[in-house]
Amino acid sequence: MNLSDNEKQILDGHEGPVRQKAMELIVRYGRIVGAEALCRVTWADLFCGSHHYLDVVSSDDFDVIFSRMSLCSSETVRLEAMDDQCICFSGVDADCSDVPKGMLMPPEEKARNARFLSRFVDAGVVLSGNCIPYLTGFIPLMGEHFVSCESSAVLFMNSVWGACGNGDGIEASFCAAICGRTPLAGKHLPEHRIGTDVVAVNVEPKSIHDWDLFGYALGRQLPPHAIPVLTGDFPRPNSIQLKAFFAALACAAGTELCHIVGLTPEARTCERALNDRKPKQTIQIGVADMMAAMQELNGHERQRIDYVSLGCPHYHINELRRIAAFLVGKRLHPDTTVHLWTAGSIKQMADQCGYTNTIEKAGATLLTSSCPSTRGYPDGVRTAAYDSAKQRLCAAQETDANLFYGSWQECLQSAISGFWEGR
Amino acid sequence: MARVPAVGNQRFLGGALMRVKKIITGRGAWGGIAEGHAMISSRTITGWGGVDIFTGTVVEPGHPLEGMSIKDSVLILDDSKGSNGWSVFFHAAKEAGCGPAALVFPRLDSRTAVTAAVLNVPLVTDVAEDLFTLIQIGDWLRIDGDRGSIEIFT
Repeated sequence: MNLSDNEKQILDGHEGPVRQKAMELIVRYGRIVGAEALCRVTWADLFCGSHHYLDVVSSDDFDVIFSRMSLCSSETVRLEAMDDQCICFSGVDADCSDVPKGMLMPPEEKARNARFLSRFVDAGVVLSGNCIPYLTGFIPLMGEHFVSCESSAVLFMNSVWGACGNGDGIEASFCAAICGRTPLAGKHLPEHRIGTDVVAVNVEPKSIHDWDLFGYALGRQLPPHAIPVLTGDFPRPNSIQLKAFFAALACAAGTELCHIVGLTPEARTCERALNDRKPKQTIQIGVADMMAAMQELNGHERQRIDYVSLGCPHYHINELRRIAAFLVGKRLHPDTTVHLWTAGSIKQMADQCGYTNTIEKAGATLLTSSCPSTRGYPDGVRTAAYDSAKQRLCAAQETDANLFYGSWQECLQSAISGFWEGR
Repeated sequence: MARVPAVGNQRFLGGALMRVKKIITGRGAWGGIAEGHAMISSRTITGWGGVDIFTGTVVEPGHPLEGMSIKDSVLILDDSKGSNGWSVFFHAAKEAGCGPAALVFPRLDSRTAVTAAVLNVPLVTDVAEDLFTLIQIGDWLRIDGDRGSIEIFT
């Protein structure tokens, strides 16, 4: 691998032990993928805080834990600063704003999380507390290199903006943010951004829910490592629908880049997206595929619903506006707990608009920064419903509850009657 | 790493004498030699939540490897899926003393590559042959990450 003089200096420890350890992992990653060089990373969306996977380290010392779990170093070094050319977001938090009954973080855990986050703030990381960085000011431009710990955000920013990022992983993202480099490989290279499989879209997704389900229907048919090129006469999605679509697609298939002909910048035409190559195949997605996907995500008989979690990925302000309008004057069933998740900055807008008040008057809670996958579930949940295929799929590994999937309207209607009202 | 007295191409395992049946070659992407039983599936494990971090046990419901541990194994998967938090679950299992001895990813993607960099164990990739028909769960394997070889004992 060709390293610049400065990169060699970092690797040799001339710029301190933290940058050296970070560079060691990035170089190891680069050698494994056969990269010829590194590239400059200018945006990093990380996964900061006292997340549960860190519990395997039997220490309470931030630097011990960070060295082992993020720098992959048995030697403990002190995190001083992230790379000064790289804008860093903290990502999804382990804690959430208001902690309702049964989801309380024990006080000592809460304090530990706050202590960890303050170390990241000291190192120059912005506390973003959300999984939708692309809606809250994290904007790598076309050709700019970024890292993100959110699979749906990687897919969104690669596809919609033409920015360059890989799925990587949490450790590699931290190391890239510290040494300001990542291997020049995968989606950082134009030749690995060319479409591989054409998707003939024979359905007409209209709502956010339709796009969410379509993401899963496509993801379960897409071969590994595919870069799909969507073609067909389907309604043009907006960015909120794409947020749902990309989350489901990335979760189901690990997709990092998806071209949409006539909409995304590298797909002005189908030929352009394919770089005039022949696609490996054309995948047809029809109504039957959408129905089969729906069946996989549902399948329980109508029963009482204990818990409804909405807002995966975190809700856009317009989603909260519509939900508030739906809930005006309505009252949710007292035995059904309803959580809505969004970013702190978006909740502030919802507060100002009065949406939060309407939502909470109806009996739901608007939460920020986290989600059940990172924060856990309220106690005693036996049935749970979601408006997100991603959250529904993740939940299968996180809870023994019977799981339901539908539109946000179906989920909220269920929360009103206390029984599942979806399909 | 599972260490077995190395006597050429023979191993006494479970009271039986085993010999190298087949050698498959790919690209040695990260060096070192390790042996272990195969934990193999053409269906990948969902990283975030698919593995118990304290025991290395696969907990993904309905997965072919569900209930088995990746500890000291040669982990062979076709792909990654789900969250970008794919690597941390394998990494955490390693920190808990339950990581795999070696890795084989027939085709790398960014998440499996980071997992290999983080675990820092022998890795063979770019394998043309269909490992998922040639290797069964539990087969004893020797992985040479320098030469890029996968030896199957029988």
